[in-house]
Amino acid sequence: MQLIKDFVNGIWNENPIFRIVIGICSALAVTTSANNGIAMGMALTFVLTCSSILISLLRNIIPSKVRIPCYVIVIATFTTVVDLFMKGYFPALYNVMGIFIPLIVVNCIVLARAEAFASKVGPLRATADALGMGLGYTWAITLISIIREIMGTGSVFGYKILGAGFTPWVIAILPPGAFIVMGILVGLMNLITRKTANSADGH
Amino acid sequence: MNQYVKMIVVLLVISCASGAVLALSYAVTNPKIQQQELQKLQESVLKVIPGATKMEEVQKDGITVYIGLDDQGNKKGIAFPASGSGFNGVIELMVGYNPTEGKLTGVEVLSMSETPGLGAKITEESFTGQFNGKSVKDQFIVKQDVQAISGATISSTAVTKAIKASLDEIVKLYPVGGDF
Repeated sequence: MQLIKDFVNGIWNENPIFRIVIGICSALAVTTSANNGIAMGMALTFVLTCSSILISLLRNIIPSKVRIPCYVIVIATFTTVVDLFMKGYFPALYNVMGIFIPLIVVNCIVLARAEAFASKVGPLRATADALGMGLGYTWAITLISIIREIMGTGSVFGYKILGAGFTPWVIAILPPGAFIVMGILVGLMNLITRKTANSADGH
Repeated sequence: MNQYVKMIVVLLVISCASGAVLALSYAVTNPKIQQQELQKLQESVLKVIPGATKMEEVQKDGITVYIGLDDQGNKKGIAFPASGSGFNGVIELMVGYNPTEGKLTGVEVLSMSETPGLGAKITEESFTGQFNGKSVKDQFIVKQDVQAISGATISSTAVTKAIKASLDEIVKLYPVGGDF
């Protein structure tokens, strides 16, 4: 039961992008097409899960004063290993995801979950939390990138869905578009959460 | 005191372990990566030289070019790398050139990080295709003899300038009508 709760937490209640608003520098930079969104989400979920498990296993060994350098070393090592193996053995996948892998090192979601969660609980709960957070991150940035891709190029996942009569809003795929779309989505999330909270209170 | 010793030991052990893991991964994957890169290079060279099935690397005056050969060993043209800075970063290209006719035979984008949906269109055939058959005597000026991608003049200009700059160097080594 606790595991399910940990898993769902990251998807909605503490969604890293829409609720906690961390890790948004990668979320804003890569969300120009839906393919990018999914690829980045999967790469992050993988590294987040691996490093959360390892940090959870090492939680009683790492002295608290040097915990941050230890976490950073663990995360950076995992990221580099993923980068190397993908480059060598899955070149097709690397062509799509390659540029995002190094970005994971600087993604604060990984460090934040290590610090706030994985270092305090056992490996099972840490895995559930990492998968939930990863999935929450993935759906959030995929949604942002689908909206930006449709508005900016008239297509989604590379397929044209709006006809030739559609004039692309170029701003949507430029950096300002990322802030605008994300701001609107965070606002909508807050609205939905407030509505459900109010009805739960009986208002 | 004990606490400090533990701190140092743990950090040291973790660093050494991660260093060992990285060294091992690098040793395992490096030959594979090299092979992939060579294959990628070869594919791009063969793509920009029509009729070529093999390639040969040649160093001339410190410049690396690739000579494309067909099955009989006849020289079909040369390919050379070109690069320039685009809107978001370096754009790397492979350009095919036929010295006998003094014309370009193809352009491939090897790597770029231009804006998706705008500058990233430089990788599309509709843009790179227009350089096929271009003569070395042409101007290579965007919006005159090169069609720019609408909304991505900087990326279009970067590609055009990169091709022209490298082409000028190559033409000095392999003059039009000369041997190669």
